[in-house]
Amino acid sequence: MKLLEVEGLKLYYKTLRGPVKAVDNVEFTLEKGETLGAVGESGCGKSSTAIAIMKLLPTNVEQYEGKVLLDGMNVREFNEGEFRRKIRWKRISMVFQGAMNSLNPVLKAGFQVAEPLIVHQSMNKKEAIKKAKELFKLVGLPPDFTERYPHELSGGMKQRVAIAMALVLNPELIILDEPTSAIDVSIQAQIMNLLKRLKKELDISMMFITHDIALASDICDKIGVMYAGQIVELGPSENVLLNPKHPYTQKLIASVPLLRGDRTPEFIPGAPPDLVEPFKGCRFYPRCPYGKDEFEEKEPPLIEVEKNHFVKCWLYGDVK
Amino acid sequence: MGLGKTLTVRAISLLFVLFFVLFLTVVVIGATGMSDRILNSMVKDRVRGITQELATQITDPEKLKEAIEAIEQDLIVAYGLDKPWYVRMPNMVWRILSLDLGNARTVMSFAGSNRVSNIILERMPNTIFLMVTVLIINFVISIIIGVKVATKPGSLLDRATSLYSAVSYALPTWWLGMLMILTFSFYIRPNNQPLFPFGGMYSAPPPTDPLGRFLDMLWHLGLPVMTLVIALSGSWIYITRSIVITTAQEDFVTTARAKGLPERLVLWRYIIRAAAPPILTNLILSLAFYLGGAILTETVFNWPGMGLLYLQAIMSVDEVLILALTYVFTLIYVIARFILEVLYVIVDPRVRYK
Amino acid sequence: MSSYLRESLSEFWASKISKLGVIFLLIVVAVSVYTIATFPLDYGTRYWNNPRYWVDNPKAAEPQWINYFLGDKKLGHTVLSTNMPIKAYLSGGYYLKFYSVSYDLTVNQFPTFINLKLEDVKYHTRAPSATIFITRPDNKTIELYTLTIESPVPNEVPPYIRYSDEPKRILLSGEQYVVPLRLSNYLLQEYNLSRTPSEVIEIGYKKIIFGEITEEDDFQPLKGTYIFNLVLKARQGGDLIGKTTFIIGGQVYGLMGTDTLGRDLSQGLLFGFPVALLIGFAASFITTAIGASLGVTGGYIGGRVDNVIQRVSDVANNLPQLPLLIFLTFVFGGKLWVILVVLIAFGWPSLVIVVRSMILQVKSASFVEASVSVGASKWRIMARHIFPQVAPYILSQMIFFTPSAILSEAALSFLGLGDPSIPTWGQILEYGFDHGAVYLGYWWWILPPGLLIVFSAVTFVLIALGLEPVVNPRLRRRR
Repeated sequence: MKLLEVEGLKLYYKTLRGPVKAVDNVEFTLEKGETLGAVGESGCGKSSTAIAIMKLLPTNVEQYEGKVLLDGMNVREFNEGEFRRKIRWKRISMVFQGAMNSLNPVLKAGFQVAEPLIVHQSMNKKEAIKKAKELFKLVGLPPDFTERYPHELSGGMKQRVAIAMALVLNPELIILDEPTSAIDVSIQAQIMNLLKRLKKELDISMMFITHDIALASDICDKIGVMYAGQIVELGPSENVLLNPKHPYTQKLIASVPLLRGDRTPEFIPGAPPDLVEPFKGCRFYPRCPYGKDEFEEKEPPLIEVEKNHFVKCWLYGDVK
Repeated sequence: MGLGKTLTVRAISLLFVLFFVLFLTVVVIGATGMSDRILNSMVKDRVRGITQELATQITDPEKLKEAIEAIEQDLIVAYGLDKPWYVRMPNMVWRILSLDLGNARTVMSFAGSNRVSNIILERMPNTIFLMVTVLIINFVISIIIGVKVATKPGSLLDRATSLYSAVSYALPTWWLGMLMILTFSFYIRPNNQPLFPFGGMYSAPPPTDPLGRFLDMLWHLGLPVMTLVIALSGSWIYITRSIVITTAQEDFVTTARAKGLPERLVLWRYIIRAAAPPILTNLILSLAFYLGGAILTETVFNWPGMGLLYLQAIMSVDEVLILALTYVFTLIYVIARFILEVLYVIVDPRVRYK
Repeated sequence: MSSYLRESLSEFWASKISKLGVIFLLIVVAVSVYTIATFPLDYGTRYWNNPRYWVDNPKAAEPQWINYFLGDKKLGHTVLSTNMPIKAYLSGGYYLKFYSVSYDLTVNQFPTFINLKLEDVKYHTRAPSATIFITRPDNKTIELYTLTIESPVPNEVPPYIRYSDEPKRILLSGEQYVVPLRLSNYLLQEYNLSRTPSEVIEIGYKKIIFGEITEEDDFQPLKGTYIFNLVLKARQGGDLIGKTTFIIGGQVYGLMGTDTLGRDLSQGLLFGFPVALLIGFAASFITTAIGASLGVTGGYIGGRVDNVIQRVSDVANNLPQLPLLIFLTFVFGGKLWVILVVLIAFGWPSLVIVVRSMILQVKSASFVEASVSVGASKWRIMARHIFPQVAPYILSQMIFFTPSAILSEAALSFLGLGDPSIPTWGQILEYGFDHGAVYLGYWWWILPPGLLIVFSAVTFVLIALGLEPVVNPRLRRRR
């Protein structure tokens, strides 16, 4: 049973130069207990997709449409009040990029984790803090850390608090936006282990946003590669990693340095795409080594090359 | 928690300020020879007065001269003029520190006493009442308006407020006071009675019943308070607005919304509460302006407080009063700052040492 | 480096606020230059504080232009002089010389005073006498006053000169002996009205001289041309009066009116411009220089030096400013440079703290580390890398400090602690306030100086606001 189905999701921001098409027709599905990785360069739209799903829209939205089906219900169409009461944090929660700043500096860590219980479930403070302490244990923090303020915690600890906070209402889906990019590599490993453990123990669905495809491969069942606001490749992790079809994916993988071996990491020539005036045809065309002239004309659709493995590339389809 | 330690450090720093100010005042009065000059002229005055008296009693010119010189010597010793100022002053400073403030030379309290402590105590409540009223009003206004415009940046209200803040920064408080008197006491006179009084704290003669007296004082309080609020609230509003806008852009505010918290809660617990430390800092820093504002406003409105007293003391070079007032002013300032620093430590957990 | 400068300038110029600020600044500078070029530098002591210079002006007069707004127009101030007699003849052994001026009363008001001024009187034998006649529009003549020139003193030789260093002034409208008597006679003669001299004083001379009687036994201004004659009765033909001046006091005067001393406020207000500019710039520049250097030094060098600087700044920053400002200015005297020094002494600490923290941030930036590793010297790093980063902020702080320097000087002047040798806006307001201008509604005395203070302060506020996007790249428009 599909937990999450995203169809035709669009989110454009208003800017002085014109609308920035941050999320331009994104589609994917997520099963219960599955972890989806959203991989891509900075500015490709992965964080914006998360924002679009969570309806945490800024004030300068030009266009926002599409279907976000949670258990078959299009929650994107809920009004703000309903969404806030029924969906946010209860069914979908989020761990933000840079946990350093996602905690309120003047409130105790434990209280911030307990807060959704108090607000959404009318639990009294004492019980809520007790629950928070349990969660702290779950994420590997000493329970008395609930009395600490965020500035008294290290980066890794704060990240764990953020994870505990995301789990507090037992959501069905957690979106994690670059949960490890602001932390030391050694702590990063600990956090990844924690996430893997939680995934197993709680059977929770996750959407894991990162620019590091190798990291994504560690935990994700499915990987979606994003470029210029669109998903250009989507499929089971193994397939995408070992058998990348889209030239961009191939380049991403090739740019990861290998511990052993002579291979020099490649880089992707050209500049990142302009999201205001995106290319008419295939958006990767300007930087693609295999691009043919016809590819400039029309945008390629998502083509299924293997079972459940989709690519948005003319190399696998017919331009006509 | 390190609350105690933090506060002790701040307290010591502020006490240092107090000593420094006192030291500075004493050195300046002493080293410039001002102290000597003043005391000398005081001695001369007394001698002249006594001479006239003695001349009627002692007829022998030789004896008269001796007597006068003897008295002059006594006075010199009594005033401490036989010692240099840096020997003389510490004694005075010590007395002031222990709040034994002595007698003023020229100024008198309303009740007719010469004692500095009486004079100051008479006027201190007036100043404090005025300033605290203004502080509270300004604080409330700046939070309400500052938050309101911060939630809608670029709106008409926001731009109008910014304009108001910019102009009020350039507006001299005392000139504004004059304009207020001109407008509300001179020009606007329904039934030929000024809408607000020209100055002072009570009418002459003041009403006899306590309620009437209190209302009369409030009526007199009107213009000074309005002046200070208009002149000083502008910068507070602007700074509150900036701080709130900056805080509202912080990630933890987005996280709060993601947690599904209602917008009101986000506003109060995440935005305003987190903005409280810098806002409070701002309050602390602007206290000095309020003190200065007191002196100027009391002068324009003839409000019988310590500010006006300070000016009178300086103009009549009443040495003892000047020293005592400088001390009291600084003391009040230091105490007020300390209270705010305590508040700050309570509000911002990040500054408590481990 | 220069492209950075160019970009900053274009960013600055982009907003309307900056443009307005620069325009205002140009106005201030232009007026300051004009003032210094036109007036002597000792204008303050020589003219402004010299009551005799202003004695011919009406006191507490409103500006002339208010007449545009009034239906019932007010009277302008008139000064009429002549140095040649319009006629002269010999009569009964005396030479009679008629020095006359013609005055038009065009509004429905009485003049406020009549002053007579005689300069450079010369006679050869006996001292002449002078009589004053006024011919009214209705052809009535008033003989108002007679005066005798002082006789020669022993050892003086002819020609006898009088009133050449110091003019002879007679306030005809305030003279209490001769004039009331003459006016009393005039009333009896012309109107058959019997009024004693003291009654005349009560009625007021101006009403009688310039008015006609109404039914209610009161006086109403008589419009028309009045001829003021001073007839010199001299012994010799060569006796003369160098300059005869009649001053008919008006109710309005000049561009900005006058104060209770009769001083032309438009002149005094002009001087406020260069003073504001001087104090503003000097105070802010020096304050910024000291504060910034200490901040940079402390932040970059660190260690004991930094500690000391921090402690000192902390204490200095905590001082209550105005009371000490007042105290020090009073003790050391209200000279301009004293005020400057005191303002600077209070200003620098706040800058130190901020600059220092900025330096600390920049110092740990990687490009600085790179420079160090390449072997650049400390000073070079400070000058080339660190300073350009903090320079825009320092500049903007300097400009932002200027209004408070201007306002502080004005406040000190207002309290009577300013520099008495030069008229500043604060000083003008001080004089006004002390003389009850506020309670008497002398708006032209109270409003303009304050407005100018606000104007000059706002100028710098605007420029500082315009500099904000340059300093804080987050606020930039072009991106």
